[in-house]
Amino acid sequence: MNLKELNVVGKRIPKLDAAKKAMGRAEYIQDIKLPGMVYGKILYSRYAHANIVKMDTSRARALPGVLCVLTGDDVPKKMRMGFYKDNPPLKKGKVCSFRDEVAAVAAISPEIAKTALDMIEIQYEELPGIFDPEKAMEPDSPLVHDYHKTNVLNLPWKLHYGDVEKAEKESAFVVEERFTTQWVSHCCLGTSGAIALFDSSNNLTIYTNTQIPSLAQKDFLESLKAMGLENKRARVIKPIIGGGFGSKLDTYAYEHIAILLAHACRRPVKILFDRVEEFKAISTRQPTVIYIKQGCDKNGKLTFRDMRMVLDNGAYTSWGATTPSVMMMPITSLYRVENVRYEAKCVYTNNTYSQAMRGYGNPQATFAIESTIDMLAQKAGIDRVEMRRINRNQPGDLTPQGFKISSCGLSECIDAVEKEMDIKGPREKGVGFGIASLIHVGGGARIYKSDGCGAILKMDDYGKVDIFTGGTDMGQGLDNITAQIVAEELGLLVEDINVVHSDTDVCPWDVGAHASRSTFVAGNAALGAAKKVKAVILEEAAKTFGVSPDQIVMKARNIFVPGDAEKTMPIDKLLRKVHFSPQGKMLMADYFYDPDNENMGKDMKGNMSVTYAFGAHGVKVRVDEETGKVEVLDYVAAHDVGRAINPLLLEGQVYGGVVMGLGYALTEEVVTRDGKNMNPNFRDYKLFTAKDAVRIKAPVVETYDEYGPFGAKGIGEPGCVPTAPAVANAIYDAVGVRITTLPITPEKVLAALKEKKKRPLN
Amino acid sequence: MKEFTYLTPTTVEEAVSLYGQHSETAKYMAGGTDVIVKLKEGWMEPDYLISLKKIEELSELRKNDATGDLTIGATVTHAVLEKSIMIQKEYPIIHDAVSNIGSLQVRNVGTIGGNLINAVPSADGAIPMIALDGISLIQGPAGERSVAVKDLFIEPYKTVLKPGEILKKITIPAQAPRTGSAYIKFGRRAAMELPLIGIGVLLSLEEDLETCAKARIVLGVAGPTPMRAYEAEKLLAGQRITEDILRQAGEKAADESKVRDSVRGSAWHRKEMIRVQVRRMGLKCMDIIRNNR
Repeated sequence: MNLKELNVVGKRIPKLDAAKKAMGRAEYIQDIKLPGMVYGKILYSRYAHANIVKMDTSRARALPGVLCVLTGDDVPKKMRMGFYKDNPPLKKGKVCSFRDEVAAVAAISPEIAKTALDMIEIQYEELPGIFDPEKAMEPDSPLVHDYHKTNVLNLPWKLHYGDVEKAEKESAFVVEERFTTQWVSHCCLGTSGAIALFDSSNNLTIYTNTQIPSLAQKDFLESLKAMGLENKRARVIKPIIGGGFGSKLDTYAYEHIAILLAHACRRPVKILFDRVEEFKAISTRQPTVIYIKQGCDKNGKLTFRDMRMVLDNGAYTSWGATTPSVMMMPITSLYRVENVRYEAKCVYTNNTYSQAMRGYGNPQATFAIESTIDMLAQKAGIDRVEMRRINRNQPGDLTPQGFKISSCGLSECIDAVEKEMDIKGPREKGVGFGIASLIHVGGGARIYKSDGCGAILKMDDYGKVDIFTGGTDMGQGLDNITAQIVAEELGLLVEDINVVHSDTDVCPWDVGAHASRSTFVAGNAALGAAKKVKAVILEEAAKTFGVSPDQIVMKARNIFVPGDAEKTMPIDKLLRKVHFSPQGKMLMADYFYDPDNENMGKDMKGNMSVTYAFGAHGVKVRVDEETGKVEVLDYVAAHDVGRAINPLLLEGQVYGGVVMGLGYALTEEVVTRDGKNMNPNFRDYKLFTAKDAVRIKAPVVETYDEYGPFGAKGIGEPGCVPTAPAVANAIYDAVGVRITTLPITPEKVLAALKEKKKRPLN
Repeated sequence: MKEFTYLTPTTVEEAVSLYGQHSETAKYMAGGTDVIVKLKEGWMEPDYLISLKKIEELSELRKNDATGDLTIGATVTHAVLEKSIMIQKEYPIIHDAVSNIGSLQVRNVGTIGGNLINAVPSADGAIPMIALDGISLIQGPAGERSVAVKDLFIEPYKTVLKPGEILKKITIPAQAPRTGSAYIKFGRRAAMELPLIGIGVLLSLEEDLETCAKARIVLGVAGPTPMRAYEAEKLLAGQRITEDILRQAGEKAADESKVRDSVRGSAWHRKEMIRVQVRRMGLKCMDIIRNNR
């Protein structure tokens, strides 16, 4: 492929819906109002752990304007959420966390619904709660779910490749540390919401903020079945959403409650979260306690990596409990290391439960790995950048977990960071540099049985394309990527392409917008459909021009034989000719792309992704040694992206990821006390503001991956993966303290500095 | 949010009279950056909301060149103060404090009077007004009265204002020559932040440019209300200002403070910040005085 000849791919085309959003014309769930629609509200538990002794909803039911009141008694027994199926949408008999839904109301106005909630009387009997996952593993700990017999979940997160113990004995240098990471919120600016409605035959339509229209449809169909509505249809429509970041990879109680309410009162029911609810009732990133040991030989070559984690599962189970499957990727495959062991235990507590969030466990694992790489380099007396070069992944590698590294630009990424930042150079007092690398899936991720995406493409008589993709744009730019790929392949302009997505009645199946997979998988699906249509067009043009199809070029809305001025015509003219002739044709094609990656086997081995994304981040910080405050002075985030389909959007992804990562590293934290969220607002939840954001350089390393559409790999998540360890390493470089718990607040830094002063010099 | 009637008087007298008619069912509002939040959250449910924004005399910002007094009307916005060259040059402590309140949007709407009357321990605007010995002029059904800004606060969300009273303006008396002042809001992020601790220092020097004629050390979030660290001020008065004595003043101020642990930060760190920042702000005052020579 001669990349210089590309006309649309590789261009900085602004997000297609940017103007619509800027002008307030984009339709979010907040904007949608259906005829006859009523409003649902949810009542949450008053305790972290308690028996529900008595419940009286009679006053709420009697309130004028209230259509129905539901409690746990109204939920069919089999209606359970999450992959562990331990979470009914309304709880009965017992509550296990503050976010437990205990009742729901539908009323003609949100105000009446809220008043009705206040009229529901519940008598609780408080039970001792358990909030520390390590304590919850102790035999005499209170049980979160009695039926489960133990607080430890039955999950398979365990692997051992090579011989870690032998390798440790043979290592010249070994470091060991304990790290902890916190709950953080996705902080989607658009709060969550859903509207459910049934038609007269009990088929469901649900407008909902989701990243997984097809899998959500499956969840909703299961709910319908549990409600006794077998063989019904469920149509999932995702309106424009104000951010996903993984928060919408599972279905939530509010969606199932909207369905129950809509069915009970035969009206469209809308449930819309306010910001406090968004903070309290939307699942966070998975918090972790990490024990890590790494070793190297005298030359700095990694010999082993041994990790153990305890994950606070919260009271119920969502995708947070499966993040170890992705943590395994950096654990086994970030740098070359042959002997690896890992075990993770997910433990029930009376805290909130976690979900997927950008990076899916990778930022947590990479924080521990990359912090200890610096510690190991120091112990071995090897420069930390060189330490990373010595152990870098390379094209053609087969990692212990069975990952086949196709393209790999890690080396170039490290070079790019060094080029932009004088990491080894002199620095002022209190100033330090940090570096950390990343590996992430870049070519899909076979977590589910299928990692596929379908696309349907049709062309009209005017040279315009409608492409119906299974992929979901949630602001990340899949609309652009799809349009640019299709326009490139068919010799059209981006404005000729209409991308239709996020409606299960119209669009083909897709596993969801996650795992940085949309550009790669949905991009390949769109490209496949475009190629099929192109083949037909070329065949028809060949007949018209009297040449063979391979002599014909489609470019800038024209189809022609290069060098022959006679043999050229606008594409739309050809399309009409093909359509309006005897036995005419409409140009349509479908394509289902399922990447050639593998599910993990029992030993956790398998090539999870067709290709892997790599990157290296460098950061310069200044630490105020009297206050502990860390100021980020400079940031470089270099990524191997295969190929940038749209450099403008790609940089946006990197900037956004880095800022999210910096918040994770320095400021963001859901503060809890005995299971209660103490900062459910943007005043006290310290999300970075525009004023906190730093200038980020985002060098792009293009390795032209052979499997990616036009060579591209995924880049959605990597930006926030190595940020925290890069910052922690820079702080160590600046003032000599190693912070092992996130976020790295001024208090923690100052406490560590004081501790260090107390210690005699070694 | 409960429905209410929005009233827009154009004089203080009219506003007070409207309050008289509706008494407890009415609330005053200046910029609304606190009141609107309280309304939305249901913490405040008035039937009548009396806006003070249309009262022209309340938005006056003027320096009397003859007396040296500075008058700041209660509805002067943070943005107006922030952008005033006169404030930047002559009252740097005010500039420091208001230019980091909330966000640009909040500063465009929020007022200095509202910031004071909301009476949170973290009110950035209160610190410079206290440090500058500001006097607040209050008008109510019983007429006018003056209260030093330092005596305005009783406890969180409570001031000495009686029902129906309006804060009209703050008067800053003429500053002594050779005066420097500075404020720092210490927080975790650069905007939309409540300070973990707020520290304002004002120093006036004798002609020798070394001896302290007057010192003010004012702390925010160090107790239930903004507070002066009197003992620390005494320690500086009449003394030669050095980094060492400023350090001692910081220690003293930290001892005087009534900081506590909260979700936002712990007491020990707040004390530590008082120690460090009193010294740093003192040194900044010295720099300002020297640079103004």
